[in-house]
Order: sequence, then C-alpha cells, then structure tokens
Amino acid sequence: MSRAGRTSFRAVGGALAAVLVLAAGAPAQTAPPAQNQKHVVWDGNRTLPAHFIPLRDENDEIIVPTETDPMPFSARYTCGPCHDYDKIRSGWHFGAMTAAKSGRPGEPWLEVDPKTGTILPLSYRKWPGSFEPAAVGLTAWDFTLLFGRHLPGAGPAEPPAAEVEAHPEARWSVSGQAEVNCLACHNRSGRQDHSEWAKQVLRENLRWAATAAGGVGEVGGMASRLKETWDVVDGPNLDDHEWAVVPSVKYRTVDFDAKHRYFFDLNYRPADDRCLACHSVAPKDAAMWSADADVHAAAGLKCVDCHRNDLGHAIVRGYEGEAAETGNRTAASFTCRGCHLGEDAEGGKTVAPGRLGAPYPKHTGIPLVHFKRLACTVCHSGPKPREGFTRVRTSRANRLGVYGVATWSTDTPAIIEPVYQKDAAHRIGPHRLVWPAYWAIRSGQDLTPLKPVTVEAAAGDILAPEERIARVLIALSQVMAEDETPLLASGPFVFAPNVDGGLDEAKRDKGKAGEAAFWGIGKGPEVLPLVPDFDPAAADKDPAIETRFQEFLQALGTVADRPGEPAIAVRKTLYRLADGFLDVSEMPAELGQAAGPGWLEQGKFLPLATDFDVRTVTAKAGTEQTLTEEQVGLVLKALAKTAAAGDCVYLSGGRLYQLDENGRLASRQSAAAGPVTWPLAHNVRPAQQSLGWGGCTDCHSGGSDFFFDTIKATGPLLTKSGDKRSAAAFMGLGGLFQRVFGLSFIVRPVFKIVLAICAAVVGSLLFVAALLALGRFAGFLERR
Amino acid sequence: MLFPIVTLFAVAGTILGLGFHRFWTTREEARSSLIYAEIARRFFAWLALRAIQMSRKASSAAGWSSVKSLPLWRAPVLEKWLYVAFYGSFLYLAASGFFFAIFLPRGLFGFPLVGHVMAGGLFAVCLTIIVLFKGRDFITVPRPVSLSLALFDPRKMGITALRVKIWAFWLFVGAGFLLTASALLPMLPLLRTPGQRFMFEFHRYSALASALAGLVFGGLELFAAERPPAA
Repeated sequence: MSRAGRTSFRAVGGALAAVLVLAAGAPAQTAPPAQNQKHVVWDGNRTLPAHFIPLRDENDEIIVPTETDPMPFSARYTCGPCHDYDKIRSGWHFGAMTAAKSGRPGEPWLEVDPKTGTILPLSYRKWPGSFEPAAVGLTAWDFTLLFGRHLPGAGPAEPPAAEVEAHPEARWSVSGQAEVNCLACHNRSGRQDHSEWAKQVLRENLRWAATAAGGVGEVGGMASRLKETWDVVDGPNLDDHEWAVVPSVKYRTVDFDAKHRYFFDLNYRPADDRCLACHSVAPKDAAMWSADADVHAAAGLKCVDCHRNDLGHAIVRGYEGEAAETGNRTAASFTCRGCHLGEDAEGGKTVAPGRLGAPYPKHTGIPLVHFKRLACTVCHSGPKPREGFTRVRTSRANRLGVYGVATWSTDTPAIIEPVYQKDAAHRIGPHRLVWPAYWAIRSGQDLTPLKPVTVEAAAGDILAPEERIARVLIALSQVMAEDETPLLASGPFVFAPNVDGGLDEAKRDKGKAGEAAFWGIGKGPEVLPLVPDFDPAAADKDPAIETRFQEFLQALGTVADRPGEPAIAVRKTLYRLADGFLDVSEMPAELGQAAGPGWLEQGKFLPLATDFDVRTVTAKAGTEQTLTEEQVGLVLKALAKTAAAGDCVYLSGGRLYQLDENGRLASRQSAAAGPVTWPLAHNVRPAQQSLGWGGCTDCHSGGSDFFFDTIKATGPLLTKSGDKRSAAAFMGLGGLFQRVFGLSFIVRPVFKIVLAICAAVVGSLLFVAALLALGRFAGFLERR
Repeated sequence: MLFPIVTLFAVAGTILGLGFHRFWTTREEARSSLIYAEIARRFFAWLALRAIQMSRKASSAAGWSSVKSLPLWRAPVLEKWLYVAFYGSFLYLAASGFFFAIFLPRGLFGFPLVGHVMAGGLFAVCLTIIVLFKGRDFITVPRPVSLSLALFDPRKMGITALRVKIWAFWLFVGAGFLLTASALLPMLPLLRTPGQRFMFEFHRYSALASALAGLVFGGLELFAAERPPAA
C-alpha cells in the first residue's frame, strides 16, 4: 500500500475509532504502538547473525522500497523488535538529558559564534564550567541544530513530548525526530557517511538523516525550506520542485531481497573510525601522515575493547572511580590501573590484571609518590610537555570530519592540551582546556549568558564592519574585469571579498601600519587605486575613466543599506549618477576636502567605509580574534540600554570586561572567565615515549616545561590583558618549590655517589666489627 | 597506620626502660621489695614526681644551659663541628621524618622533604667519619664463652649499661647503614614498584631502629654524665 493509501486508510480508521470512543463516553487515549517484546538474548555463540531485516517506518509499517514516496526507516521499529530501544536510549550517548549521574567531566559542547565572540560551554550533564542549555535559552531544537552534526541521534534530537509541547516554535513536526542512529556506530558498510548525517541535520531532515547517512537510501529535499505547517503525511509539494522540495528517500533496492528485507552489514563491536567520527583529536595544522595512533590501537585493540557496554549502552569510560559511581564493577578492570596492575581505584588488588594481554609495567626506579599523586595518563598520554601546550582541534568543538565542497572545520575554539590539573581525587592528570567567551548579565555573583542572537540584535552595526566592507567590495566586483579584484588596502593588509560574503585578508608588501586606507583594484600583485588622481579638467585625460566611474557608481548603487547615494570626488569635481547617467559637476564648497569614492548623504560626503569599520578590520587582520576592545565597549553600552536588570559583562581570555563608572572598558580576573577543563586519556604513548623514560629530569629540572611552561589565555577578543598561567599554577603547586626541587637534580648524581661511598665504608666497617665480635665470642682471636 | 602505632609504642617503651634503669640504679626503694607490683608502684610514683620536677625546671634558659653543658663543645674544633653536624642532621631527620609519618597521612613533602634529603646526605657523611675515627672506642673485648646453660641466664650474660651503650652504638651504625642504603637504592634504576614499596617501609623501620638506638645511647650517656662518681 502506498503512503497516500495508508494515510487515507488511517484517517478513516481514526475517525471511526474517535466516533466509537466518544460514543462510549471514554476519554480519548493514544495507545502506544505494539512492540515485539521478545528481545534477543545472547545464546553464547560468538558469531553475528546476518541482519536481513524488514525496514519499518516511524508508524511501524513495513517499508516497500519500490513504492511511491517511501518513508525513511525508523530504528525504533526496525531494530526495536529485537533490541530494547528504550533501554538503548538511556545509554551514555543518548541519555544526557535524563541521566541521574553526570560522571567524570568530559568535553562540553561548545557553541561558537565568531561574530559575537561567543565560545559557550554547554552540557546537559552537570559538569563544572558548563551551562545547562535550557539555562541559556537553548531548546532541544536549538541544541539539535547546533550540535546534531555530531550527535548519534536521540537525546535532544528525540525530545520528550513535554519539551516538544513547551516549544511550539520548534519545527519537530516538519523535521521529525532523529532517533538513535544505530548505524552511526554499528554499520560496517563503507557507505556509512558522517558528512551526510551532518548535512541532513543542517537541512532539518532529522527523520531522514539515518537513512541517508547509513547509505540505505538517497535523500533529497530540505525540510528547512518547508513551511512550519507541513507534515510528513502531506507528501510532496507539487507546486515547488526547485526550492521548497519535500525530503524524500530513494532506497538502494539492490540491498533488499524479494521479501523487502534490507541487508544491514553490521558490526557488533563498532570499528574505530565510527568512534573517531565524533571523538577525533589532532594537533592543529598537523599533517595526517605525521599523526600517530594510540599505542593500544597500534597494538590491535579497538576502542570498544575497553569502552564496552551492554544493551543499556552505558559505555565504560575507563576512569578510576567509575565502577563505584555507576555500580558497574567490571568497569574497574578497564582503567589503566585495572588492566595493567590489577588494582582498583583504592589501590586494592581486586581486579584480574592483564586483560587483553596488557603488560605489567616495570616502572623501574620511579618513586612511589608518583603513583599516589599522578594519574597514569600524566606520563603516558597526550603530547609531551616539552612539545609545549599543544593547540588541538576536536571533532565536536571544531566540526571535524564533515567533508564536502564547503569547509566545515574551524580553528576556533582554541583547545589546548595537556594542562596538568588535580581531579576530584586530588590526583594530577592531563586535561584539555578551553577559555570560555560570552556576553552575560551579572546579577550579584551569578552570570547568565546571553544568546548570540540577543547580543547581535542589541549591537546593531557594531559587530558588522566586515560585512559592510564586504558588501561594498562585492558590489564593485560586478564591474571588475576578469583579472581584477576590488580591494580595500589598509596598513599592511588588503581585504578582498570571498564567496561566503565575508572578507579575505592578505599581507601587502608596500603597506605600512598607520598608512591611510584606500579602495583599490588588485591586478596580479599590483594594487591600483580605485579612483586614480587626475585632473578632471585636463583635455588629455583618459576618456575611459569616466565610463569606469559610471560603472563603479552603478555598482555601488546596488549596495544594500547604503547610507546615501554613491559619488566620487576627484579634486574639485564630483561624479555621481543622475537618472542613470554620469553627472559631472563642480564640488560644492561644503564638501570641502572630499576625495575618492563615498556616499552623499544630506549634503555630506561620507567615506565608503567608516573609520571605525576600517580601523576594526585592520586591527583584527592577521589574527584569529573577532572583536576589538572598542567593539566590546560599544556593545556593552548598547546592551546596557536593553538589559532589564543587572550589569552587562563580557568574558574572554580568562578576564571579565565591563564598563567602569566613566563608561570606559575595564577588565579584571574572574573565576567565571577561567578555563573549562576536562581530562584527556588518549592518545596513549608507548613506554619509550612516556615521561620519565629519559630520567627524572624529564620533569624535575630548573626550567622544566612540565612545571614552568606558561600559557596565555586566548579568546575572541583582541587584547593585551589576557590571563597568563604557569603549568605549576594549574597543578596547584608552588612554583618556587618545584624550581628548587628541580635544581636539586643537578647535584643528585654526586649525591648518589656520596651516599654509595658512605654506605660502602660504613657497611664494610660494620662487617669487620661483626666479624671481630664473632671471632672474640668464639674465642678464635684470643687463641692467636 | 601500622608504622605510627609501632613507633609510638617503641619510643614509649624505650623511654620507660631508660627511666626504669635510672630508678633501679639510683633509688634505694627500688630494691626494698621483692613484689613486682610494689616495685612498679614505686617506679611510677617516682616517675611522676620526676616528671613534675623536670617540668618545673624546664625553661628555654635551662634547655640552653643543658645544651651548652654537653661535652661536645669541649671537643677539638674538627670533632666539635663534626658532632654538631651529626647531631643536628640526625635531630632534623628524626623530627621531620617522624612528624610527617605519624601526623600527616600524606607523609613527607615540600621543602621539609628537600631538607630531609639534604640532612640525610650530611648524616651519612658524618656517620661514616664517626665510625671510621671513633668506632674503635666502641669495640669491646668479650671473653670467649663456654657452651653451657649459663648462656641463657640473663644474670650471667654480663649485661651492663656500658655494654648496652656499645650495642646501641653499633645498632645505630647498622641502622644508619640501612637508612643510607634504603635512601640510595630507590634513586637508582633498579627497583620496580614492589621493590620501591618495600624499600620505603624498610627506610621507615630503619629510621625507627636508629632513633631507638640513639635514645638508648643518649639516655645512658647523659645519665652517666649526671651520675655522681662512686664514693
């Protein structure tokens, strides 16, 4: 039966049922869909059954791939009959919104908005430094659109009914919900495409995303372009085949058998690349060939060999104390200490060591205090401290692993590792770090972050100098020759428009800081002025120049939100358009020293870009910062006018910025602006690359990177007042003591020799004295 | 937790033993009864009285005068500074080591640990010099013994204060040797974690043996110095 047929049948059936219910005077209820509760139980065989499964849609109806407009498959009804869907949905990857315990802090989701300079850590788990999404005004819908690219379905992408009803502005009825995407991890097929998942989520094709990403079918159309009144039962939009095209699936019929069963090529134990789609971490700008794998992976272990789970998908995270926290005693044998030493979190020998052939570490010559005060990962994981604080990019924060024409990955937020810090058990371990940056309303000690859209609305034009300059350049590019590019040259930089409507900057050889900005034309390496200096009254002037001016003025006339009519001033002559024709007139006296291209507004000659715009983009050029202090000050003033209660502040680079009583921007250190950290465990390095392999001075020396390397806080704000901390400060250790202790290792070889000589002399004398006493006791010596 | 308990009991027992030795050798009432309970009662009464007397006399001036009256100040210059360094390092080692071991679960750390390591080196050097140049003063000449049941009779073993002091000296030297060795070995790339753990405990108990031997030696030495010459 086609979907349309089913729909009409359901409609008739539903109406009939409603009549009967009303007639009986009983309250209307929605019966839960019937499910086969005979969930599979492992029979002990280690093989995986071939998964020829009839696909079912979200209405629990069998999908016939060849029918017209088939629905996407639903994991709940396709996988659910054998595998308890609701139990799976409570697992680590899906249950953050409802989990009773948060567990050890992990990487928060980072909402990044370069324009407003926002890097906001978010998590449904109660982790220090992270904000509950609802507390900052993010609904499950917002969260799904922001981070769904790296969500494995369910969780906020499959919100409870109460959440859906509380936010009618969300478009769940159009997009559907993204159920647990079993294939994201368990699909063995090379067709599994994480990039496709990200694209489908961005298109709001949530109910179609798993089908598309798993390679089960090809999905076209975009739910994001449909009206909010559209429902999946409405079917295709017959009036629009170009823009608002309804999402549809074209199944790969070759993977179906004659009984319409689809062949899922599945893995019981997901392959590493399935995990790494969302859990990759790599040094920024590193070449792929130079990246080493984790030593466990190199030895042939898979991620899931340690990070195991049962049907409840409560993944073993592998940290000490997890067994006690979760009640899963088996977890104790999947920590470093459990597997390699057979020790539980308290050091008790309660765990069988050597799981999966884990070698017992020698740790020859390492004093015991190291095992009490340091996590195993300090010496064995992450980049070595001598490589400095390493800037890394992670899949979820920097949007890695989404491939296509557009570049999805970003350099921001800046995540740094390894930062050694004490954990809840006061044991030092390596962490990753990010400095949050956000606008907030302060009420007493409490900070309530503002959504970027709120800041942008209040800030108006303050945050858009790049956009304004880009609009001018894009307009001018309409009348440029093929080998010409419109440019703004300012100081040592030139700015050109890019395809995204933004600005690309480049260094200019001849430019110097402080030099006046000018609009130009890039022709190869040359930058020619857009409006050359010439005498308009001269008889021998270039006849083409006025034609060119007319083109420029026509192009500038297309700039949206322009402050006035375009004009060009050359010496005492003013060029402008009148009825589409070039009007050349003598410059009015009130325009004074006007020169070059600009806007005529109420008798004033305004430059094409304001000094503020040029100053701002020039200051930020060559940096990754997106805000200047001037912008922050202006935005704070703008926010102060709109904020109902409390002070407006901005946090970036470890400092809190606010306006002082004179209206000037002032900053101070603030705990709220402090870095958000979470422990890192991978990549684990081999023993020969661990700290201490080269001796005590790997860490204990007068200038050790481990203790004394310093890190300067970074954030979207271009400032010189960023926070600066040493590695020892992160550890909560005294820098002076560590320096003195480190210096003592200079004389330690001599110290050892002295002790050895003393022990040898005293030992020898003791031996002789003992012999003497023994000889006298026995009477040997007297007889002689 | 075991080490603090053993330490407290061992030190208390040694001090009581030294006190009883003094009581037994100086007080007439000690031998006036054959009943152990009566002797014990008189001993504790005397001990309490002595403690009160000493606490009344105790002052920084009295302490300083006691330090100044030590015979080491009258020794030749080289010997004097050797003893100052030796006693000073030993006292710091004992104070820092036992304080942190007994009262702080974390154990020795920070600058006190650095000081402990430095004092340990000084102590080892001083001990070596003392054994090398002064050890001969503590070699006794025991008579050859005959094989008889008298060997097991404490009254016939010839246990005198002097001999106990000599044995205390050699016990101190032996413990000092073990302390040096157990400090050195963990610094070398020889011991694995269980070896390190054993050596850590070994160092502690060697220190306890050294402290007890030092207490006995010092107690007997000071008592001998205070004791009026026999008439």
